[in-house]
Amino acid sequence: MVTPPDNDVLWARALHFQHNGSPALCGVSLGVREGEIFAVTGPRGSGKTTLLQCLAGLLPVQRGEVWFNSTPVHTMGAITRERLRRDRFGWIDPAPLLLPELNAWENAALPLMLRGTSRRRAKTSALEWLERLDVGDRARKRPYELPQADRQRIAVARALASCPTVLFADEPTASLHRADAGQVLRTLTAAARSHGITVVLATHPADAVAVADRTMSLLDGRQVRTVHLPPVPEEGRAPCSLSV
Amino acid sequence: MLALRLARGAHPLVQFRRLLVAAASAGTGFLLLCTLGYALAHPEASAGSVQRLAWCAVPTAATVYLAVTVARTDPGTRPRSGLSTIGLGPARLMALSAVTTALSTVLGSLLALLAFLHLRGDLPVLRSDRTAAGFLAADQSLPLPAVLTLLVLVPLAASLGSALALRPKDGRARRPGRTDTGAQTAAESGDVPDDRAPDSPDEMSVPDLPLAPRPAPGGLPWGVATLAAGLAVETHASGGGQQQGLHLPGGLAGGPAGVLAGWALTALGLALAGPALAYLCGSLLQSMSPGAVRLLAGRGLQEEARRIGRPLGVVCAVASAAYATAALYGGAGPSLGPLTVLGAVLVAGCTLATLATAAVEARQDRADTIAALVRLGAPATVLRTAALLRAGALVVVFVPVTWVVAELAAMPLTRG
Repeated sequence: MVTPPDNDVLWARALHFQHNGSPALCGVSLGVREGEIFAVTGPRGSGKTTLLQCLAGLLPVQRGEVWFNSTPVHTMGAITRERLRRDRFGWIDPAPLLLPELNAWENAALPLMLRGTSRRRAKTSALEWLERLDVGDRARKRPYELPQADRQRIAVARALASCPTVLFADEPTASLHRADAGQVLRTLTAAARSHGITVVLATHPADAVAVADRTMSLLDGRQVRTVHLPPVPEEGRAPCSLSV
Repeated sequence: MLALRLARGAHPLVQFRRLLVAAASAGTGFLLLCTLGYALAHPEASAGSVQRLAWCAVPTAATVYLAVTVARTDPGTRPRSGLSTIGLGPARLMALSAVTTALSTVLGSLLALLAFLHLRGDLPVLRSDRTAAGFLAADQSLPLPAVLTLLVLVPLAASLGSALALRPKDGRARRPGRTDTGAQTAAESGDVPDDRAPDSPDEMSVPDLPLAPRPAPGGLPWGVATLAAGLAVETHASGGGQQQGLHLPGGLAGGPAGVLAGWALTALGLALAGPALAYLCGSLLQSMSPGAVRLLAGRGLQEEARRIGRPLGVVCAVASAAYATAALYGGAGPSLGPLTVLGAVLVAGCTLATLATAAVEARQDRADTIAALVRLGAPATVLRTAALLRAGALVVVFVPVTWVVAELAAMPLTRG
C-alpha cells in the first residue's frame, strides 16, 4: 500500500465502480490538494457523479482506494462514512434537495444543528451565508415559495455554512439559467477560497476553465486528456435546406 | 390482464396489505351471509333481521375504509415516470386501482361464501358434522340473488371508493410553486377539501420541485362541536327511562337508539378533530427554539397531520367505544356471541390496519426528505429519535382525549 502524498487532502487510486454490471469508473486516480478548486469535466454519463459519490463516501468503493487526510475512506463502514460526511464534507446536488417543511435558514442551519451546534450559533451562521448568497431577505420563506435559483443558493449556503474541509459540488448550476449559474458559481468559489475550503466540482469544461485551479476530464469512466470526439460522418445524410 | 400482472409482481408487504383487505372483506361478507341465514331461519322476526343487517354497516364501513387506504398506498397504482408517456396516465391508473381493489375484495367474498357453505354443510366434500346453528338456516335452500347481492356489496363499495379517492384531479389546485406564484399557490390550495387523496395521480409532476404544503387542518371546532353534541344527545337519550331500543345481536344489549346516535356523533367528532389534533402535536413539538430532532419531528408531523390524523381519530373513536362498552358490560355482563366478537374484531382490526397503512404511506412520502437527510450525513439515530418523538407526542395527546371521551360516553349509561 502506497502512502499518499502529504499535501493532498483527498486522494484516490485506481477507482473502479460498476452500476449493476455497467462500468461507471474504470481505474480513475486523482489527488486533490488542500484549498484548491478541482474540476471534473466530461459529457453526461462519463462517471462524474459516481466519482464524486465515491470520493464523498456516499457510495462504497468496489475496487481501488480513497484516502482523506491520510485516513482510508474505502475501508470505512457505513456509520463511519456517515460521520465523515457530516463532520468534514459538504455536498451540493444538481437540483436543490431541500427539506420542504423547513424554511430557508432552517434548511441552511440543519447540518450545523445535526453536528450539535447550538441553535443560535447555527442560525447566525446560516443567516450570514444566506446574506452572502443574496437570499438573506428570503430566510423565512419555505422552499416552495422560492424560484429554483434561490433554492439552489440555499443549498449552496447549507453546504458552506458548516465550513466543510472538502465541498463536493455535483454540477451545482445544472438547473439554473446562465446569469444565475455564473453568479452562484462565482459566489461558491469565492467563499471557498476565502475560507480555505477544498472544492471538487463536477461541471462543464467552460465553467471549469473560468474557476478551477486544475481540471480532470472523464470519458466513459476513464481519465482522458481531451474530450474532443471525432465529428459525426456527414455521408449518407440528406442535406437540409434552411430556407424553408 | 395488467392488474393481475402488476398484482403478482408486487412486494410482499404490499401483498400482505392486500391480503388484509381480503381477510376484512371475507369477515364482513360472512357477517352479511349470517344475517341472511338468520332472516331465512326466522321469517317471522323481520325487525330483528333488519337490525342485524344495519349493524353490519359498521364492519362494512371499516372494511371499505381499509380497502381505500390500501389502494391509495399501493405502489402499483402510483404515477410512475415513463408510464404516463406510454398512455398509462391518471385515468387508467384509477381504473387499475379499482380493479386491484375489486380483485382482493372479491377473493375475500368468495372465501366468506366457501366458509358459510362449509358450515351449512352444503359443500359435497368436507361435509361438516357440526350441528348447524340458528343463523345458518341449514335446512333451507339458499336464495342465490340474495347471496350475490350481499357478497357484491363490499367489492362494489371498495372499488368505487378507491376509484373516487384516486380520480384524476385538476392539477391546478396544487402546483409546484415555481417562480413568483408561490403565494398565489398557497392561496389557491386553501379551498382544497380535506379528504382529497394525498398522492392522487396528477399530471406528470415536475421533478425536484417542492409542492406547496397543505393548509393547517381546521376541523378542530367542528370536531369538538360534533363530539359535544354527540355526548349531549347520548346523555339526553339515556336519561329518558328504560325504553326498548336497538339491540346488538349476539347477546350484547344496546342502549336506546338515541344513545347509539350519540355514540356515532361522538365517533364522527373524534375523526373530524383528529387531523387538527395531530397538527397541534406537531406545532407543540417544534415550538420554543427547537434543535434538529424536535424541528424535524414537529415539522414532519405538521406535514403529515392530515394523513395520520384522520385514521388516528377513527382508532380513538373505536377505542373509546370499546372502553365504554367494557365499562358498561364489564363484570357480570351478558356473554358476547361469536358473530358480535367477529364484528368487533373486524372493526378494531380494520381501523388499526388503516392507521398502520397511513403511517406507511407517510413514510413513503417522506422518502425524498429522508434521502436528503442521509446525504447530509444525518445519523440514523436522529431520524429514529424524531420518529419516536412524533409517535410519543401523538400518544401523549390522543390517549387522554380518548380516555376522557370514553369516560364521558360511559358515564350516563352506567349512572342509571
